Amino acid sequence: MFPLEDAEIGAFTFFASALPHDVCGSNGLPLTPNSIKILGRFQILKTITHPRLCQYVDISRGKHERLVVVAEHCERSLEDLLRERKPMSCSRVLCIAFEVLQGLQYMNKHGIVHRALSPHNILLDQKGHIKLAKFGLYHMTAHGDDVDFPIGYPSYLAPEVIAQGILKTIDHAPSEKPLPSGPKSDVWSLGIILFELCVGRKLFQSLDISERLKFLLTLDCVDDTLIVLAEEHGCLDIIKELPENVTDLLKKCLTFHPSKRPTPDELMKDKVFSEVAHLYTPFTKPASLFSSSLRCAELTLPEDISQLCKDINSDYLAERSIEEVYYLWCLAGGDLEKELVNKEIIRSKPPICTLPNFLFEDGESFGQGRDRSSLLDDTTVTLSLCQLRNRLKDVGGEAFYPLLEDDQSNLPHSNSNNELSAAATLPLIIRERDTEYQLNRIILFDRLLKAYPYKKNQIWKEARVDIPPLMRGLTWAALLGVEGAIHAKYDSIDKDTPIPTDRQIEVDIPRCHQYDELLSSPEGHAKFRRVLKAWVVSHPDLVYWQGLDSLCAPFLYLNFNNEALAYACMSAFIPKYLYNFFLKDNSHVIQEYLTVFSQMIAFHDPELSNHLNEIGFIPDLYAIPWFLTMFTHVFPLHKIFHLWDTLLLGNSSFPFCIGVAILQQLRDRLLANGFNECILLFSDLPEIDIERCVRESINLFCWTPKSATYRQHAQPPKSPSDSSGVRSSAPYFSAECSDPPRTDLSRESIPLNDLKSEVSPRISAEDLIDLCELTVTGHFKTPIKKTKSSKPKLLVVDIRNSEDFVRGHISGSINIPFSAAFTAEGELTQGPYTAMLQNFKGKVIVIVGHVAKHTAEFAAQLVKMKYPRICILDGGINKIKPTGLLTIPSPQI
Amino acid sequence: MKKNRERFCDREREFVYTFKVGSQCLELRVPLKFPVQENASHLHGRLMLLHSLPCFIENDLKEALSQFVEEESLRDYDRDAESSLEAVKSGEVDLHQLASTWAKAYAETTLEHARPEEPSWDEDFADVYHDLIHSPASETLLNLEHNYFVSISELIGERDVELKKLRERQGIEMEKVMQELGKSLTDQDVNSLAAQHFESQQDLENKWSNELKQSTAIQKQEYQEWVIKLHQDLKNPNNSSLSEEIKVQPSQFRESVEATGRIYEEHRKLEESFTIHLGAQLKTMHNLRLLRADMLDFCKHKRNHRSGVKLHRLQTALSLYSTSLCGLVLLVDNRINSYSGIKRDTGNQNGESDDKTKNAERSYLNILPGEFYITRHSNLSEIHVVFHLCVDDNVKSGNITARDPAIMGLRNILKVCCTHDITTISIPLLLVHDMSEEMTIPWCLRRAELVFKCVKGFMMEMASWDGGISRTVQFLVPHSISEEMFYQLSNMLPQIFRVSSTLTLTSKH
Repeated sequence: MFPLEDAEIGAFTFFASALPHDVCGSNGLPLTPNSIKILGRFQILKTITHPRLCQYVDISRGKHERLVVVAEHCERSLEDLLRERKPMSCSRVLCIAFEVLQGLQYMNKHGIVHRALSPHNILLDQKGHIKLAKFGLYHMTAHGDDVDFPIGYPSYLAPEVIAQGILKTIDHAPSEKPLPSGPKSDVWSLGIILFELCVGRKLFQSLDISERLKFLLTLDCVDDTLIVLAEEHGCLDIIKELPENVTDLLKKCLTFHPSKRPTPDELMKDKVFSEVAHLYTPFTKPASLFSSSLRCAELTLPEDISQLCKDINSDYLAERSIEEVYYLWCLAGGDLEKELVNKEIIRSKPPICTLPNFLFEDGESFGQGRDRSSLLDDTTVTLSLCQLRNRLKDVGGEAFYPLLEDDQSNLPHSNSNNELSAAATLPLIIRERDTEYQLNRIILFDRLLKAYPYKKNQIWKEARVDIPPLMRGLTWAALLGVEGAIHAKYDSIDKDTPIPTDRQIEVDIPRCHQYDELLSSPEGHAKFRRVLKAWVVSHPDLVYWQGLDSLCAPFLYLNFNNEALAYACMSAFIPKYLYNFFLKDNSHVIQEYLTVFSQMIAFHDPELSNHLNEIGFIPDLYAIPWFLTMFTHVFPLHKIFHLWDTLLLGNSSFPFCIGVAILQQLRDRLLANGFNECILLFSDLPEIDIERCVRESINLFCWTPKSATYRQHAQPPKSPSDSSGVRSSAPYFSAECSDPPRTDLSRESIPLNDLKSEVSPRISAEDLIDLCELTVTGHFKTPIKKTKSSKPKLLVVDIRNSEDFVRGHISGSINIPFSAAFTAEGELTQGPYTAMLQNFKGKVIVIVGHVAKHTAEFAAQLVKMKYPRICILDGGINKIKPTGLLTIPSPQI
Repeated sequence: MKKNRERFCDREREFVYTFKVGSQCLELRVPLKFPVQENASHLHGRLMLLHSLPCFIENDLKEALSQFVEEESLRDYDRDAESSLEAVKSGEVDLHQLASTWAKAYAETTLEHARPEEPSWDEDFADVYHDLIHSPASETLLNLEHNYFVSISELIGERDVELKKLRERQGIEMEKVMQELGKSLTDQDVNSLAAQHFESQQDLENKWSNELKQSTAIQKQEYQEWVIKLHQDLKNPNNSSLSEEIKVQPSQFRESVEATGRIYEEHRKLEESFTIHLGAQLKTMHNLRLLRADMLDFCKHKRNHRSGVKLHRLQTALSLYSTSLCGLVLLVDNRINSYSGIKRDTGNQNGESDDKTKNAERSYLNILPGEFYITRHSNLSEIHVVFHLCVDDNVKSGNITARDPAIMGLRNILKVCCTHDITTISIPLLLVHDMSEEMTIPWCLRRAELVFKCVKGFMMEMASWDGGISRTVQFLVPHSISEEMFYQLSNMLPQIFRVSSTLTLTSKH
């Protein structure tokens, strides 16, 4: 989007038609309200950016099918010029005509027809150039179908538009659906407007609407429309004195028969504009992020760099895009409805006065006076930016142009720096509503994303602080490492040819996050369908499992106008977090995943784990939709966003921690209840405090040794050549982000049944060495890591018999021989180290032995005694032996 | 016109593209359906893939394709437009009718072309009242209303006494006559006396109802005039008498004669509240309440504890012109003009003075089950809107379904609640106001379950109409229901609605 510059932001409102009573859609589901249909169709308008068109910014639904549209706005319009009642100079008329045509041509190229062209919808910016307003109304209302009022203004309707009459497509079977108005109707409207400008007065003012329309239709039979119109309004002499190219232009526009009338595109190229056409350079849309063309292609430094600083003004806010300014306006307390109420555009009556007297069984009401407040008043109200500017008056220029090269300063050094860092410690929900904080974050992310992928590392770093909601779509794409010609790739996928999965997709979409306006709109459904089909078609080895729709939802929501990016993000997300989950036979993957999850519950919360196992409430019963959809099936979108903001920074084992964190939030209720109540509780997951959930998941993650969540069916680590280049990104919670290369000390895969039989997770020798901060002397190359004080202190329990222990053991480990460790009742027998073991309760305890069965049993006993963070050394003591790390204690101890 | 249209729509046209590979000339033919719905670049991608076209023609094909689509669409637009112009020219479409349809559409939907609004007395009064009730004058206003209420109650009291006396007298007379029956008097004599009695009862009732009507009309006018005058005076700053005017009123406050004498028979009111969540992922919160109370309790001013009542009244008055109204569903039979049962009682409540109660137009005499009329009230204790839902004897039977007119009526009522900002609604849970013998325990449970489930469904539907605004729904059961039954019903509710968990405060682990 363009910077705001001297433009303003305006809002106008209208009502969508109410739905007929008790009509169901063809699929048996209730009909989509018209306001939602409009909202969905509106979205694409936000991408239509042209200097001659008012940039659309936002649409919002109010009560009772009201819609409020926010768009770029200028206070002055051609209406104001007409009010001066002076004929306009011919050169000016030509310029205006050409500029309007530029706008129309660009719209037409995107399949949009204006239909509501009128002097008050042709705005004038500060430099006197025109901008077309309300150009998307015809498009967003499905050519007028979804609103009660006619689109367009009586004086400016083209004859064919009048002749087509007001037909709602809903009255007709689709086969006889009349075509909507074409691009040429706008040319007629333009002709009338230009005529008015030339003569300096409005036409048809003395005629009422039906006479006006009748008059317009009779123009068929006249020789020269221009002369007839001029005679009718007594301005023949003015018209006769117009230069030839202007009369020519008017005649071409006011050609009665559309087949003979030029399109905007044709008219622009006409010789009547030979004088003015060269004054305008054709507009090219700047390349966006993820476009395949070079974004820097047009960038050139001027000879004299000081030129760049020449026209610097101090209004930095005006340099931000209109979308950002509006976003900040809302944060600074802007209230659309209030603005419209203040200007008396919204005049609602007290509802008690508009109640009907009587209602029939079919829902038809009687005795309800027509509510005048529902009439269309399409006046645009300028939203005052005073409050926002006032709020931001202390924000220095540095905040608007942060320096990115210095890695140390991620936040600008301004006066408000302290305040900002103070703000950074506030809860996320408050930060997301803080105007200044968001301004800083948005600008920072905007700049970093513009430098993506070069600035990828810094994006990761900043994303760890938080992600500004406005930039979330692109930031996620950056975090997922989306690159390349995503549009070309998406376009080349066949999303139309029917496939067997279609039926299932069709069933699932109307049930997926439908509380959301965007995703429940027909436009949203169509996009869902395409992205899902594209994924299914382009992943022949995988299949569509129910849940993929939920997984798609956050990406589609964030990139509603960029299906290719939504598809690319989803395609990058699935292999990272849900590797092989969508195999046709995914049972082995899911089973392993759930078993590891069980072990994680036991590791972090033995009491809960014991209870759940006792009542038989195993993860298979509730956790499959959690993981298969990465929680998108269970949470509403706004919670998914916060959850995934963190999830995307973690590795593929982070979801286990989220799962445990959710269980812990419901801990009390789970512990207090039996199987049936638990099933009931989880059939519709209760409200979860998502910020707490995120915080606790991170904490759990930090306590979890990396190898504890090892899965043999996880995505194999990328080959070094692959990862060296791009994946040098900073790690998040642990010291490692991508998996380290495999060594002999890594975990080995074991059969699923063995894994299932073990309550506690195994950890690799590598992890043990790392956690004990042992130095490896042997020929093994273990990565050398920084010592971190935050590393959990741990206790190694050696359960071999004491003879073996004396022959060599891990330094610092204690010896509790398995054979004598427990009493018949399962209590710990008192031994020299019992107290020590109790002291370490809560720390990580690693059980080491040489018989796998014994270590597992020992661990299980400890879990039963509610010892948390119990794990087993994978491969036993034998794994450590070759490293030469075993020590022999001095005999006196 | 229809025929013309059909000719131009949904046609297939062939897109032909030729290109050269080396010396070979190849041709691609694609049938396209017009108007083209899909995105040209999607179509293009599909063509490339489907026909394994070489990449060097990619851009050229794309251009040719979009040009073809553009040109053909333009041609369609032209043809369609010309045909409709032709239809007007040939007279197939009537020019005058066409023009007047347009004119009507503009006049009915746009502010610019709409007829200027006739000043609405209703709305002007709404503004005035709303201003006053939010000013220091509110107390005076309420007191005045209360006085009206008291005087009407007195009238009603008198009426009741007189009617009672009449009935007693007639009873004695009748008894005497009955004793003489078969002796000096015949059946016919008894009948004629009974007819005479009935007639004099009717006469008396009519007399009273006329009198009541008259006094309410007088009160209404007086009240309206006074409100308007007060408002004008308030606006006029140099009016010294004003403060007096406001002050004087309270001293005039009259205690109702029977205020102390007639104590309401206070049943033990049973009440239980629930907070529920609706929706799968995004949950909307609503309040439900199960009450054992009389429907009319919400209308009555309880005279025996005044201060609390006053607060209720003030609350109701303050929100009268707001966007959070309170409604009540009353079940009525289909005879609008008759005067019996609950309608009679409502009549008595309503009768007690009113500034702007509007009764439904009395013109339609027959209303069908499931239909309802709406009355608006300014001076009931907790209610602004009453839905008079027509039900027949069918509701007493045990086997009504979710498609029963009464249930559909409830749905329509909830829909009106959505469109007119009624945020609190009270519903008779069992769809009856009084219990009778056939209403056994299983009957009650079955009925309650049906209504709970249907209301839940409607509330979920409502979320899509209004975006899930939080609401309060009160389910009322008749007084005559046992305490045990009440608790059975209150146990049923959380099984049907998802009750949000109580907030458990725990120390951090």
